[in-house]
Amino acid sequence: MFCYNCGCRLSEHDFCTSCGADVSLYKKVIHVSNMYYNEGLERAGVRDLTGAVISLRQSLKFDKTNIKARNLLGLVYFEMGEVVSALNEWVISKNMSPEKNIADEYIEKIQSNSTRLESINQTIKKFNRALSLCNQGSQDLAVIQLKKVLSMNPRFIRAHQLLALLYMERQEWERAERELRRCMEIDRNNLQTMRYLKEVEQILTPEEGGKPPARRKKEEAVRYQSDNEMIIQPLNVKEPRRSGISTLLNIGIGLVIGVAVTCFLAVPAAESKVRNEEQQITTKISGESDAKTARIQELENQIRNLEGRIEELEGQIDGYVGEEGMLQTIDGLLQIAASYTETGDIHVAADELEDISQRVNIEEMPEGYQRLYRSVLASIGPDLAAEYYNEGNTAYWANNYAEAIPPLEKAVYYDASHMEALYLLGQAYRMNGDNEEAIAAYDKLIELFPDTQRAVSARQFRDSLAPAN
Amino acid sequence: MINFEEELKKFHPSLEVEDAVDAIYSQDLTDIADLLLKKIMEPEQGFVQEYEEEQ
Repeated sequence: MFCYNCGCRLSEHDFCTSCGADVSLYKKVIHVSNMYYNEGLERAGVRDLTGAVISLRQSLKFDKTNIKARNLLGLVYFEMGEVVSALNEWVISKNMSPEKNIADEYIEKIQSNSTRLESINQTIKKFNRALSLCNQGSQDLAVIQLKKVLSMNPRFIRAHQLLALLYMERQEWERAERELRRCMEIDRNNLQTMRYLKEVEQILTPEEGGKPPARRKKEEAVRYQSDNEMIIQPLNVKEPRRSGISTLLNIGIGLVIGVAVTCFLAVPAAESKVRNEEQQITTKISGESDAKTARIQELENQIRNLEGRIEELEGQIDGYVGEEGMLQTIDGLLQIAASYTETGDIHVAADELEDISQRVNIEEMPEGYQRLYRSVLASIGPDLAAEYYNEGNTAYWANNYAEAIPPLEKAVYYDASHMEALYLLGQAYRMNGDNEEAIAAYDKLIELFPDTQRAVSARQFRDSLAPAN
Repeated sequence: MINFEEELKKFHPSLEVEDAVDAIYSQDLTDIADLLLKKIMEPEQGFVQEYEEEQ
C-alpha cells in the first residue's frame, strides 16, 4: 500500500512516514476493498459466481486499482459466458497495471485465436437476436437461436436462463428443468435460476410440500406437459390377474394375428416393393439400352458416310495419280514434248499424240494442257500431214480407196488447212462408196476453202451424191 | 407464478465485441478512494487559496 500523497510505501502507522499525510481513512478504504476481494474469491471457489461478482464489484467500488479483484471479476464473467465483460475488466486491469499482470495473458489467449474470438462474437449476436425474437413473440425461432448459442458457448448462463424461461412459457417443464440444472452446475447461487427452478419443480412435483408418497398413492394419475403433449401417468393401476391358460391363449392369438399381418400386409408390401424396384431397374436399363442403340446407329451412319467419302476421295486421287490419271496424262504429254524437242522424231511423237487423243478428251483437260497439246501438234502436224497425204495419195491412185482413207484422215487431222488432203479424202470416200462421209468432207472443204477450184469440184461431186440443201 | 413478460424484461442484450472499446471508455471508474482523496485534498487546497489571498 502506497501513500496517496507522495507515493511512499505506508507503514503500520496512520500517517505517512515520508510526507506526514493522514492515511487512516485511506487505509480503511483499501482494507474494505481487500475484504470484499477475499469474499469474492471464496464465493468463486464454491461456484457462487453471482455472489462473487457482487463482492468483487463492491471491492472495485472501494478501490478501482485492486488489480487482483478486477482480474478475478473478469475470470468469473468469463466462466459465466460473459466474454466481453471479462475482456473489459482485463483491458482496464492491464491499463492500470501494465507490468506483470495476468490479465495480459488472458487477453492474449483470447485474441491470439481469431476463430475463437469470432465465435464468441457470433454467440453474443445470436443471443441478442434470440432476445429480440422473444420480444417480438417468435418464441420458436428464439429457442432455435438459443440452442445454437449454447452449442457454441455452453457456459452462457443468461442463454440457459432465457431458454429455460421459454420452455417454461411453452410448458415444457422437463426441458426447462434440464437447462436450469445446467445453470446450477455453473453458478450454484444464482437467484434467478433458483426462482425458475423452484417454479419448475412445483409444476413437476405439485404435491411435494405435504406427504408426497402417501398423497401420490391416492392420486389417480400424474399429469404433466412434455413438449406439446400432456402426459398422464396412471397411478395405482394394477393389471388384473389372469390364469395361465388365458395368457397362453392371448399369446396364441397374438401369434396368429402377427402371422396374419405378416402374410396379408407385410409380405405383399415387400413383394410390391421388390417388384417396383425391379421395374425401375428394368426401365432404367431399357432406357440406357435405347440410348446406346441410338448412339450406335448414329455412329454406324457416320462410318458409312465416311467410307463413302473415302471412296470418293480415293476415286479423285486415282483420277489424278492412277495409271490413266490426269497426272500420268500430263506427264505423257510432257514426255512427248521433251523427246520431240530433243530428237525431232515426229513419228514417235505422232504415235504418242494419237494414243493420247484416243484415251483423253482434250477439251476436258486443263487449259495449259490443251495449249501444250496444240503447240506440239502444230509443230509436228504439217510434216506428218504431208507424209500421210503422200501415203494416201499413192494408195488412191493405185485405186486402193479403202487403204487411202486412213492416211488421208490422219493428214486432215494433223493439218486441217491441208486442202488437197481434204479433197482427196472426199474423193476416196466417194470412190469407196462412203457417200455420207464423202459429202461431209466436201462440205468441210467448201466451207474452209470456198473460193477455190477444189471447192467448185467438191460442190459438183457433192451435188452428184446428194441434192443441195 | 412467474410472469413470462415480466421476466423477459429482466434480460438485456449482451455487449458485442465491437462495442467493447466504447464500453471501456464510457465506464465510470470513480471509486470511494477517489471520493475520499477528493474530500481530503479540498480543504488543503482551500487553505492554500485563502493563504495566498491573505498574502
